[in-house]
Amino acid sequence: MTQPMLEVAGAAKAFGKVTALSGVDLAVAPGRIAALLGPNGAGKTTLVRIVATLVRPDAGVIRVDGFDVVADPYAVRARIGLTGQYAGLDEALSGRANLMLIGRLAGLRRGTARERAAELIGRFDLAAAAGRAVGTYSGGMRRRADLAASLMARPSLLVLDEPTTGLDPAGRRQLWESLATLRDEGTTMLLTTQYLEEAERLADLVYILDQGELVASGTPAQLRARTGTQLVEARFEPASGAAAAARALAARLGLPPEHLPADPASGRLTLVARDGVGTLLAVAQALAADGIAVADLSLRGPSLDEAFLALTGQHAHREAS
Amino acid sequence: MTSLAGAPVPAPAAPAARPGPASRPGPRRTAREAALIFGRQLAVLRANPSRLLYPLIQPVVLLVLFLAIFAGLARVPGATYRQYLVPGIIVQNVALTAPTVGLGIVLDAASGITDRFRSLPIARSAVLLGRMLAESLIFAVQALLVLGVASLLGFRVATGLPGMAGIVVIAMTFGVALGITMSWLALRIHDPDTAGRALFLPMVPLTFISSTFTPIDRLAGWLQPLARANPVTAAVNLIRTLADGGPLSREPLYFAVWIAALSVVPGVLAVRRWQGGR
Repeated sequence: MTQPMLEVAGAAKAFGKVTALSGVDLAVAPGRIAALLGPNGAGKTTLVRIVATLVRPDAGVIRVDGFDVVADPYAVRARIGLTGQYAGLDEALSGRANLMLIGRLAGLRRGTARERAAELIGRFDLAAAAGRAVGTYSGGMRRRADLAASLMARPSLLVLDEPTTGLDPAGRRQLWESLATLRDEGTTMLLTTQYLEEAERLADLVYILDQGELVASGTPAQLRARTGTQLVEARFEPASGAAAAARALAARLGLPPEHLPADPASGRLTLVARDGVGTLLAVAQALAADGIAVADLSLRGPSLDEAFLALTGQHAHREAS
Repeated sequence: MTSLAGAPVPAPAAPAARPGPASRPGPRRTAREAALIFGRQLAVLRANPSRLLYPLIQPVVLLVLFLAIFAGLARVPGATYRQYLVPGIIVQNVALTAPTVGLGIVLDAASGITDRFRSLPIARSAVLLGRMLAESLIFAVQALLVLGVASLLGFRVATGLPGMAGIVVIAMTFGVALGITMSWLALRIHDPDTAGRALFLPMVPLTFISSTFTPIDRLAGWLQPLARANPVTAAVNLIRTLADGGPLSREPLYFAVWIAALSVVPGVLAVRRWQGGR
């Protein structure tokens, strides 16, 4: 068995009386992506900061590429790239100057840093803005520049704390593509997210944290199997049409009416999609056959809260982080 | 998603480049890293020259203002008030600039860049050293500016050019030492707004309860011991003695003791604090 790139055993941390992490275990093999999924205050950021040597754990053994974060912080720092929640860039300097500074501080020679910066600027679609102050960048550009900075020294482990929080859908999609490319090239990653969809899209392994404890873990497919299948969601206008549509669908699909809960306020009804797209098509056909107009019809995964409910039998705790 | 449940995910090839084990940087690497941070600070000024505006206007305003206000009021034995005041203004300006050193550190920490630096395999002291190096240049330029303008107004340094160079070095040293103490205090404050107020406040009594504007024996009796024990007094008296060409006695010693007190222990604490709540 190969040595994991990241090994966390019994990680615990309290800030004063507040327990941030209690006894978390996880392991990430080289080339894999692990996602820490959980609401605010779950302990995700604390774990990331421990791995990045920014916070000293109270207990537990945390190793990056075999090096202990407490005993060998410099060896760990030489192997990680950190993209935190706040862009780790100097806003007054250009994107290129930031990459050069961070690359050179990480030990690259000037020439090597220049080549690497040019490569990453091209790759993250920053060429037009590379000479401009980072303070003028959009949120998405800032994240991409921050990610590029984290990659300057070719880290063995890339640590990302909520990489897409605060981005618009286009920015999020673009960052996902960047991360997927890195994954395909074999970069090992630990990322945190509040979005189930993000964890599913990017991660090989998902660890679900709540109140500093690991409540579930597995591959996205395993968690999917436990969180229930996808849902078909239909929206009707006016909203009062949802109830009638639910009755008509129940009759046509031969389902008990309680399988088609309708919300008269929003005009939405949902149905567990046992056959995935097949269920979606069946609903569409049934609605068409009865001549019922539908404003919106989609297949969606469960929300984080729905997943928590399915995995833990309780709602996610929401606290101020 | 495809049906991955239970099936092992194929492991892609590990990345090719991998750095060797890294240890704590020695003096050479620390110097290289501090030089890079120094370069960053200069690049920030180059990208934003307006940041130099106030540090350069402030000493001239202080000089002209206090000279205009106090010249008619104050009498000092054996010299013109102008000759007496200029060394005080040089030091007052240093004291009023030093809080911005701490403020810069709080602002870095509030953005993500301090976390970025902390996650790099650099010496813990490199960032603070590099910053102090850059700040020392600003202190030097300010001191030269006061000396220049004051010379036009009739201020004379009896010890000539070597004395002037000495005065600039004293201002730089005092500025960096105060800046180190400010950095340590700043690293204990997370909110930039609070830091701004907290770091500037002590500078008002520090500059006024001293020999900056008037000989200490003219101050109210209860203020005199405070003024004698004030680091600002130590710096002002040393510069004043150099400017007047008077014989040096204990001034260099007092000044050196204060420099050590403001930089050694606060410096060690600041560097430790900088690495964070580890």
